[in-house]
Amino acid sequence: MLKRVETYLRGFFDKNKRHFTEGGRLSGLSSLFEAVETVFFTPAIAAAKAPYVRDGIDLKRFMSMVLLALIPPLLFGIYNTGYQSLAASGHPADFSGAMMTGLKIVMPLIMVSYGVGFFWEALFSAIRKHPISEGFLVTGLLFPMTLPPTIPLWQAAVGISFGVVIGKEVFGGTGRNIFNPALTGRAFLFFAYPARMSGDSVWVAVSGAASSAVSAVSGATPLSITTLAPGFKNFEAQLEQAGFGLMNLFVGFYPGCISDTSALCCLIGAIILMVTGVASFRIILGGVIGLCATSFGFGLINPAPLNPWMNINPLYHLAAGGFAFGIAYMATDPVTAPGAPASKWVYGFCIGALTVIIRVMNPAFPEGVMLAILFMNLFSPVFDVIEIKVRSAGRIPNV
Amino acid sequence: MPMKTIKIKKGWRFNIAGKPNTQEAVMLPQKTVALVVDRIPVKLRLLVKEGDAVNIGSALLADKNNPDLKFLSPGGGRVSAILYGPRRVIEEIVITLDAAENNESFAVFSKETLARTSRDALISELMNRGLWPFLRQLPFRDISDPHITPAAIWVTLGSADPFQPLPQVYVKGQEMAFELGVRALKKLSDRVNLCWYGDMPGDSRFINELVTHRITGRYPATDPGVVLYHTKKTPAENRDWYIDGQDVMRIGQSLKTGTYPVDRIVAFSGGTKDNSRHLKTRLGVRLQDLAAGLPMGPHKQWVAGGLLSGHGTSQDRHLDVYSTSVMVVDVSRQSELFGFLRPGFKKLSRSRALMSAFSSAPLPVNTDMHGEIRPCINCGYCAAVCPVDIPPQFTCKAIWADEIEEALACGLLDCVECGLCSFVCPSKIELAETLRTARKQYHKELHQGA
Repeated sequence: MLKRVETYLRGFFDKNKRHFTEGGRLSGLSSLFEAVETVFFTPAIAAAKAPYVRDGIDLKRFMSMVLLALIPPLLFGIYNTGYQSLAASGHPADFSGAMMTGLKIVMPLIMVSYGVGFFWEALFSAIRKHPISEGFLVTGLLFPMTLPPTIPLWQAAVGISFGVVIGKEVFGGTGRNIFNPALTGRAFLFFAYPARMSGDSVWVAVSGAASSAVSAVSGATPLSITTLAPGFKNFEAQLEQAGFGLMNLFVGFYPGCISDTSALCCLIGAIILMVTGVASFRIILGGVIGLCATSFGFGLINPAPLNPWMNINPLYHLAAGGFAFGIAYMATDPVTAPGAPASKWVYGFCIGALTVIIRVMNPAFPEGVMLAILFMNLFSPVFDVIEIKVRSAGRIPNV
Repeated sequence: MPMKTIKIKKGWRFNIAGKPNTQEAVMLPQKTVALVVDRIPVKLRLLVKEGDAVNIGSALLADKNNPDLKFLSPGGGRVSAILYGPRRVIEEIVITLDAAENNESFAVFSKETLARTSRDALISELMNRGLWPFLRQLPFRDISDPHITPAAIWVTLGSADPFQPLPQVYVKGQEMAFELGVRALKKLSDRVNLCWYGDMPGDSRFINELVTHRITGRYPATDPGVVLYHTKKTPAENRDWYIDGQDVMRIGQSLKTGTYPVDRIVAFSGGTKDNSRHLKTRLGVRLQDLAAGLPMGPHKQWVAGGLLSGHGTSQDRHLDVYSTSVMVVDVSRQSELFGFLRPGFKKLSRSRALMSAFSSAPLPVNTDMHGEIRPCINCGYCAAVCPVDIPPQFTCKAIWADEIEEALACGLLDCVECGLCSFVCPSKIELAETLRTARKQYHKELHQGA
């Protein structure tokens, strides 16, 4: 069976290749043809220079590992989106019903993100004559996973366009971008359409029976609760009451962006990424340490805070507000993170620390982790330069 | 002298099928031998022409700048061809062997006469008998400059690369010659460091008396450049000399017998257990003679000098004087359906993103790039394996931007050209080639300036 598919596909590509080569009718789309062909067939290029043996890993494999690690939060996100939607509209939320509802909300977003983003990728590749990069497979999936389920599709299209074009292609494409493209797109939406990206009414999508449009119901996110309500002795009890007990924050059954509510699923993904060596454990652990240390520090210096998130158990910061998703999948993007080992620790630590600082000092931006990562993206080349200088100075000169 | 143990942590321990076993077969040249000229790192002047009769040990070439530095014939017979490559660079001087070959003869040295010889006299003696080119100088790996006294001479006995010949095979029975060779080296430098790899078995008396450093760790731990990087204290040591253990024996034998010894033990690998072993052959052997009697298909890449550190060659060419390892690797021609999604139990990889990470079986290899060239994503895999702590991704970017000073500060000259950075790169960037070319270019500029 597989053999027949292989023979058929081989024949198909061989027959149509001529249209895309020099002088063919579609020669402008050769990078598109090549991208599609290499998805099906590894190219079998022989090494022309020493060393004549090369590692079995390539960028396709590298990025496939990230996609693999994204499966747990994606599936959970689909289920949770459907579950919250059904619960809000009073329907019984069984597993298959929740999955189906979730798919109906999430799949259009993913399709729009991949479709529109791929259009820009293909356009830039055709004009610049460079191959279509596999990195987009990750960007195109990461982006919708960080959106509220009620986001209009056209806004998702605008966001991914901004992310791919301004976040990446204007810098010269994959490997040259300063900011993580998926987060750039999200930040653009966050500041351009705040009404659709923040507040209390965007986190649950409800399909009304009367109208086909997606509307929303009220539901706060844990980080938007910033005052200690009267009648509660401590903030933890108040969160527990609101349905944000530590356990639930960790598992993720609460309204929020599609995939960033479950720290547990992100932990599974992070373990996959660290075990396969695709993401840097230094960044992830550095981030966790930075977050815990900073929130612990805040707890020490301010016993009577304005914002109760200031002296909460650091585990709450770890589990809430998409920090797990950000540090596992966004901060570890190798292009926008530093490349030198000590810099990775510092970079991770700063992201963790900055996340807490933004969250507790400026409650208007519960999106601490997004801003922290983008801000540190800006500094990662500086970290690299400093570390290279320090390491070079430590070498015995050889000129 | 107490033995020092040096542990090299970075690098990579690869497990590839077709490791040469300790069996030794004799594979002599069948018709021709050659002096491979394009691997000699100096400008040369021809001393012979086609049709000349030569003996084993007749001078074929001399250094243009130093006519005393000679390169001798590895066979006796007639010069049947002088092969030129692109831009009229001499590639090989091919000698068709006579049935009975004659030897040039040189003075015979004993321990005592060697002890009475001065350093300068020994240097001109070694140059005259074609042995000087075997002594090479870091960091450019050119032929040692006789006008300087190096801080140390490093002798490599055994390699972390399992495709190099084992010293317990080639030293066996030649301990006396080896010792005489070491005595000669001690005339050239106060410190002669003998590096034995790991806990390979060997004559314990020999190891205890002569070996000064025991090297452990992953490929390329035994490279003299790596050992030097991890032991040096001052920049004065950067220009240390090094020599392979087999060539120390060659010096000893030559002094003892007054000839130009042309024996060479080569680790040969055809990719499977049955065609991989140690071969007793000669300098300059035609490569296909090494595979005599073995079935070899047409689509093969011949690599001389180590799987990752060696250079590409072909079966019609001959063995250069520095290579002690020859491998024959299948050229990849098979594309694979959904290759990047397959678990990859049989794909060699240093990363843990393929299932082969969980298997300990030796894996077969071919020349497949396993992917296409992509921009650098700064994953840091290359820096993680570099045995001399160069960050290849940044160093290469400095080279591409013509910032040679920055590349030098990152350690460009410490590079041992092991090839690991190119090997591990998921974007398939030719990092090793970039570093190699930049080093060559810098070397050229230094010499033109002088």
